[in-house]
Amino acid sequence: MRMEGEGKLLRVFVGESDTWHGRPLYEAIVARVREEGLAGATVIRGIEGFGAHSRIHSSRILRLSQDLPIVIELVDTAENIDRVLPILDEMVSEGLVTLERVEVIAYRAPAKDR
Amino acid sequence: MPPLRGHIVPDVTVVGIAVAGACGALARYGLEGVVSRRWPGAFPWGTFVVNISGAFLIGLVFVLLTERVSVDPWVRSSITIGFLGAYTTFSTLSFESYRLLEDGAIGLALANTLGSLTAGLAAVYLGVAAGRAL
Repeated sequence: MRMEGEGKLLRVFVGESDTWHGRPLYEAIVARVREEGLAGATVIRGIEGFGAHSRIHSSRILRLSQDLPIVIELVDTAENIDRVLPILDEMVSEGLVTLERVEVIAYRAPAKDR
Repeated sequence: MPPLRGHIVPDVTVVGIAVAGACGALARYGLEGVVSRRWPGAFPWGTFVVNISGAFLIGLVFVLLTERVSVDPWVRSSITIGFLGAYTTFSTLSFESYRLLEDGAIGLALANTLGSLTAGLAAVYLGVAAGRAL
């Protein structure tokens, strides 16, 4: 089944060393938005980048490979994405969130095939 | 209890590197002793075996811990910088040169390996000269 519609794409930029109550922040965010019933989440590890401190993190220099960039992408309806924003306010102490309006094309298998 | 947030890099990482580094230094000491007693001769086989095995291990461990399994960054740092760094710094040299080769930066990769070797030899020469002049 093919579904088309308007939605929002939310990206969270953090580092892999960022934590939330002792576990990786990205893992905590994924678990939390899943509880909230969001459509999905994807975590991507970057190989190089820099953030607010202008400090380069890179997988090419061993000493700089300790805190590689993490991007968490969430796509859902505007209402659902707006609902998780206050949660991110609470969880992200250092990082960046971007929001975009997107056209979503979702493919879903019929329930009996799953 | 206030929420625990922010970086775990300084504390856990420093302790992890210290402990793993001590183990790496002893692993080097042990293996180098075994190899050089078994194959005594003009060529320093002990150092050679340690250097090459360290280079193999850093490639293996880094790829496993970034591309295959997800571990806390401090675990990766403890093993690659702590254990393997103390085991042999040749592992870091080889790893970073390999990364340059992967990027197609052949000139920089050669400069890194040959530069370290020749500058290292020159530095030892200067150190020896300085030591004898004192």
